[in-house]
Amino acid sequence: MSSVIETRDVSKHYGEGDTLVKALDRVSLGIAPGEFTAIVGPSGSGKSTLLQLMGGLDNPTHGQVHLANKDITQMSGRELSDFRRDHIGFIFQAYNLIPVLTAAENCEYIMLLQGVPEAERRERVYAMLERVGLAGREGRFPHQLSGGQQQRVAVARAMVSRPNIILADEPTANLDSQTGSDLLDMMHDLNRNEGMTFVFSTHDPMIMERASRLIRLKDGCIDSESEREA
Amino acid sequence: MMMLKLAFRNILRNRRRTLLTVLSMAGGYLLVSVQLSVTEGSYDQVLDFYTRDTTGHVQVTVDGFVETPTLYKAFSLTDDLQQAIDALPGVQATAPRIESSALGYGDTRSFPVSVRGVDPEREAALSYLADKVSAGRYLSSEPDDQGYAGVMIGAQVARQLALDVGDELILVSQGADGSLANDLYRVQGIVGQPGDVEERWVVMPLAAAQSFFVLPGEVHRLVILGADYRSAPRLAERIGEMLPGQELTASSWQTVAREFHETMTADKEGGMITLYVIVFLVCIGVLNTVLMSVLERTGEFGVLKAIGTSPARLFWLIVLETLLLAVIACLLGGLIALPINLWFTLQGIALAEPMEISGIVFSHYRGQMSAYVFGFPMLVILIAAALIALMPAFRAARIVPVDAMRTL
Repeated sequence: MSSVIETRDVSKHYGEGDTLVKALDRVSLGIAPGEFTAIVGPSGSGKSTLLQLMGGLDNPTHGQVHLANKDITQMSGRELSDFRRDHIGFIFQAYNLIPVLTAAENCEYIMLLQGVPEAERRERVYAMLERVGLAGREGRFPHQLSGGQQQRVAVARAMVSRPNIILADEPTANLDSQTGSDLLDMMHDLNRNEGMTFVFSTHDPMIMERASRLIRLKDGCIDSESEREA
Repeated sequence: MMMLKLAFRNILRNRRRTLLTVLSMAGGYLLVSVQLSVTEGSYDQVLDFYTRDTTGHVQVTVDGFVETPTLYKAFSLTDDLQQAIDALPGVQATAPRIESSALGYGDTRSFPVSVRGVDPEREAALSYLADKVSAGRYLSSEPDDQGYAGVMIGAQVARQLALDVGDELILVSQGADGSLANDLYRVQGIVGQPGDVEERWVVMPLAAAQSFFVLPGEVHRLVILGADYRSAPRLAERIGEMLPGQELTASSWQTVAREFHETMTADKEGGMITLYVIVFLVCIGVLNTVLMSVLERTGEFGVLKAIGTSPARLFWLIVLETLLLAVIACLLGGLIALPINLWFTLQGIALAEPMEISGIVFSHYRGQMSAYVFGFPMLVILIAAALIALMPAFRAARIVPVDAMRTL
């Protein structure tokens, strides 16, 4: 099966000479459509760096990242912004919602950038917020929502623009276990029912339990890979 | 609309800082607007007085007379031409003038004088000449019962020739035909005070001057008063189009009194430096605010870029926020400046010592209510705000998402 996203010999180095740190070293992997993949490993193993490179948030020192058959490492800042807008959904550990926009506006924002007509934006936002269990809270600002609710808004924001892939960096790290579990169930449902591709960077056992594929990183290299029936 | 909403909500985040920034910009606007109002009001008074009193707004002369006035550069003023100019929209008054010099004699002394031939009625409607009579009475077109033409003389002429109202004045000069011109006149009035611009003048009726200088039916200048001294160049252009022949030209007061105009313009531009200093000081404070605001939100800008906001959109968001602050500040400043400028315009500041120029008394500094007084400071502050925002906006647009998000 062709990959949604593929890294080819990707390395990310910081510093030089004696202070050189290899955060990632020649990592090659592909993510197939519909996967629910977890990149795991101890702190400093390079999992967040890999996710950032896959999402075009940073440039690799070496190697290529292909998304939708395009090498995103060769794109300009403007092209990358547009590409992220249209093809990638991000979920961050600290939710990272825009504090001055309501839940609905946070979700609507990306579609606004995409040029989706207002009526369609509204319809999709309200449907998605209902899907993540936030019906009736569309007009609330992030500070008026709990951590779990904010992360649900972040999931809705990532999904509503219909990206090819959703990259989630430690999405449950700031949530209590029950809220984290509920959120993961919701994302797992979206994965199974709507075929949305998820890639997580995590060391949360709850995510590992649900993942269809586990990629273990150690010292910036792929240590092992395993697939299982989720 | 969403970007405007985002910008507006962003500036409301830190309300105290926004309030202080808006107040500082509004204060700058207020200072600039009030100073501009008073400056423009004062210049307006001076220029309105000067043009009305001296040059009019436009003059028709023989080509070259304005630069080098001589007795011989006179032209025949037809009734048709004068009536056509009188009928132009915005023309308030027209008055012909003859100007030359002569030697004046009193009983025992002589003194060089500047002779002005004017149409008494038309001149009174155009300039302040009739208001400057300090003794005797204003000029009359008709000779007195002994057949002498009446003249008004300047205060210095009166003192040097020991003349008073009712005395005889002899003038000797050269006629335009090369003949020796001399005649006897009756002093009908004294114009102005010693030290005034008219102190060496001898003003006589136009017909008497035409006869004295042998310029039958001719004048040196046709002075025209329009609706406003500011629109003089346009009026001059329109009058120029209707002048017969090549030898006549219509010049605005800016050309006629070139040196005066250039001095006033330079003085005005000098005053603008103070205004720009005020704006500069306000800008420093605003720059600090914008930089702080951008620095605080670096992480958020990283998120905005991560989810697909283009560098250009982020750039314009910062510029938009700063412009919004500036617009609010200008509206607030305008609201405060409005009654102040209105008071300056209607009431003004009384001068400690009223200033008298040629018998006309200036007692107040007046302001001006005009679109310029309110619009120019707004334009300067909006441009300054946009310039201030450029550097922080550029920085925000260039951030690398992953680096920026580390600050969250």
